[in-house]
Amino acid sequence: MLEGLGNIVVKEVKELIRDPKILIGMIIVPAILFPFMGLAIRFATQTAAESIRAMPVGVIDQDKGAYAQALFDVFSGSNLTMIKLEATNVEQIARDVQGSNMTAVVVIPEGFSPNITNDKQAKVYVYGVFRGAGVAETAGPSAVVSVVNLFSKSLALSKVGNNTAILDPAYPSQQSIVKGKAVNVSPSVLSTLVMMQYIGLPVGITVLIIFSMQIAATSVASEKEEKTLETMLTMPVGRFTILLGKLSGSVIAAAVGALAMVIGLNYYMSSLTFAIPTQASVDLANIGLAPTLPAYLVLGASLFVSLLSALALAIAVSSLTEDVRSAQAVVGYFYFITFIPMIFLMYTDISVMPLALRLVLLAIPYTHPMLAARAVFTGDYTTAVLGIIYVTAFTLVTLYLAARIFTTEKILTMKLRFRRQKPKREE
Amino acid sequence: MVHAVEVDSLVKRFGEILAIDGLNFRVEEGRIYGLIGPNGAGKTTALRIISTLILPTAGSATVFSHNVIREASEVRKLISYLPEEAGAYKNLSGYEYLQFMGKFNSDDKRDLKAMVEDAAAISGLDERLRDRVKTYSKGMKRRLLVARALMHKPKLAVLDEPTSGLDVLHAFHVRGIIKQYVEKHDVTVLLSSHNMLEVEYLCDQVALINKGKIVAEGAPAELKAMYKASNLEQVFAEVAGLA
Repeated sequence: MLEGLGNIVVKEVKELIRDPKILIGMIIVPAILFPFMGLAIRFATQTAAESIRAMPVGVIDQDKGAYAQALFDVFSGSNLTMIKLEATNVEQIARDVQGSNMTAVVVIPEGFSPNITNDKQAKVYVYGVFRGAGVAETAGPSAVVSVVNLFSKSLALSKVGNNTAILDPAYPSQQSIVKGKAVNVSPSVLSTLVMMQYIGLPVGITVLIIFSMQIAATSVASEKEEKTLETMLTMPVGRFTILLGKLSGSVIAAAVGALAMVIGLNYYMSSLTFAIPTQASVDLANIGLAPTLPAYLVLGASLFVSLLSALALAIAVSSLTEDVRSAQAVVGYFYFITFIPMIFLMYTDISVMPLALRLVLLAIPYTHPMLAARAVFTGDYTTAVLGIIYVTAFTLVTLYLAARIFTTEKILTMKLRFRRQKPKREE
Repeated sequence: MVHAVEVDSLVKRFGEILAIDGLNFRVEEGRIYGLIGPNGAGKTTALRIISTLILPTAGSATVFSHNVIREASEVRKLISYLPEEAGAYKNLSGYEYLQFMGKFNSDDKRDLKAMVEDAAAISGLDERLRDRVKTYSKGMKRRLLVARALMHKPKLAVLDEPTSGLDVLHAFHVRGIIKQYVEKHDVTVLLSSHNMLEVEYLCDQVALINKGKIVAEGAPAELKAMYKASNLEQVFAEVAGLA
């Protein structure tokens, strides 16, 4: 029934992957761009850390007492380069510092040590030196404030005989309840971990769908533009087989593009997180939040039918245009629809949305793999399966429409054009 | 007698435009039949209907007794269609293109190999067949496409302006290929052209079309004798009322 399908799929993949626009724009660039961005961020972070160390902090000790010396010692033990300055008033400090490369100045005022000795609050002035060079300038003063806070906390502890119960008489121990079980993990840690998957998945799905739509539209429209379609339609091969061949070729080319992007993005993310210390290592599988094999299967099925629906839509629409540019332009209007579920579902649960918005989102097929991703996390397979049924029905209807266009002469005679017509010259 | 092509009272309308207005003709097996006429006469529309690409508004067309509407898939097994503005997949090499198209006509590896070798000889592109199609000149591309259309020895080759846009040398080569192939393999050819000299050289039988209707039909020599003309151009001018 589908004789010749393999032949068409192989040809489609060759044609698409060898197309410089697809090869460069959708495979090479994402594979290189994201690691490059990651490297740039890594380089910028390292440079910033080194420059903070290189940029000295001035200290003016007007107190000359034991606690002022102790604070200075804590400063010296940190990564910061401290320079002792002599100044009597703020104006003089401002004049001396503006022309230097100092990022901050700490003034330990007179009475600092006696106040601490007498259990009174002792003030330390921290001046950030503003030169208009951007956010990096806040790093110096922030580092100084952190050191002062550390000094303050250790002083407080020593005053109460290292008894933390006096410092923090009551403190919340955060726990979570997951799938009816109490778990010793803070809700914020848990939500951060799960959120990474909530955000990553919708973005990944949206990008994959957009890639595929663009590739499918190119695949059909280039046949028209290059005048190969007429010949193809007179070959002894079913029109539905041609349609399926184009769908399959587009899925494979899009998957290669998505893989390149995932590899690139993975490197980018690892570059971003390299400087962040791991605060809590939580095994999601232990608390029942990691997807199981059936969950992956359901999620995969949901993603697959959504992808097919997007491809069928792209093929149906692009078969009515007359060239690649028009096809990509008309398919571009549908990208907006793929963004809607991503934007709404990234931060909000569908159950708390107003009914009208919920219905609009549910009508969009690309919502369902995102809902399925959440549903299978919590073991709610019914939602995921219902979504798959809806998207399958949507896909079949779209495929039927695409097949109708392919089997009639409309595929040759319809010429939707999305380019500005040249104005006619007046004779 | 079974004709390669039988067209009866064929009408095709595109909205307000009447492209074909009651066309009737028959093509005998193993002959070269030419539809000639000016641009917009309805030649391409007739060939597209016979090649199962578009549907007629009225009338019927058959290819070796198979109706082009009801038995389109059977018709596609018998024909090979070369559109006037055809292209080839630009990111495939010439060889890959011929192999891809050949696989629709034969699953047998030996058959396919023979087909592709035949096409390579017809096209005369030799080593250039290893290069991507996008590097070909217009003439080279047309030779590749003609080779593709003839390589599997179709029962009926439908060639729309086979030498369209070619220079003298390439056009000469393509005409030679068609003539040789028909003689050697008993292929029937239905072609269209607005080049009257080409048609005179190639065709056994011609139909002169003007405004969607056949205005004269016969062997080129007969038509010239009938209208006392020295070439088909003069015949056409006479029958179309231009003389």
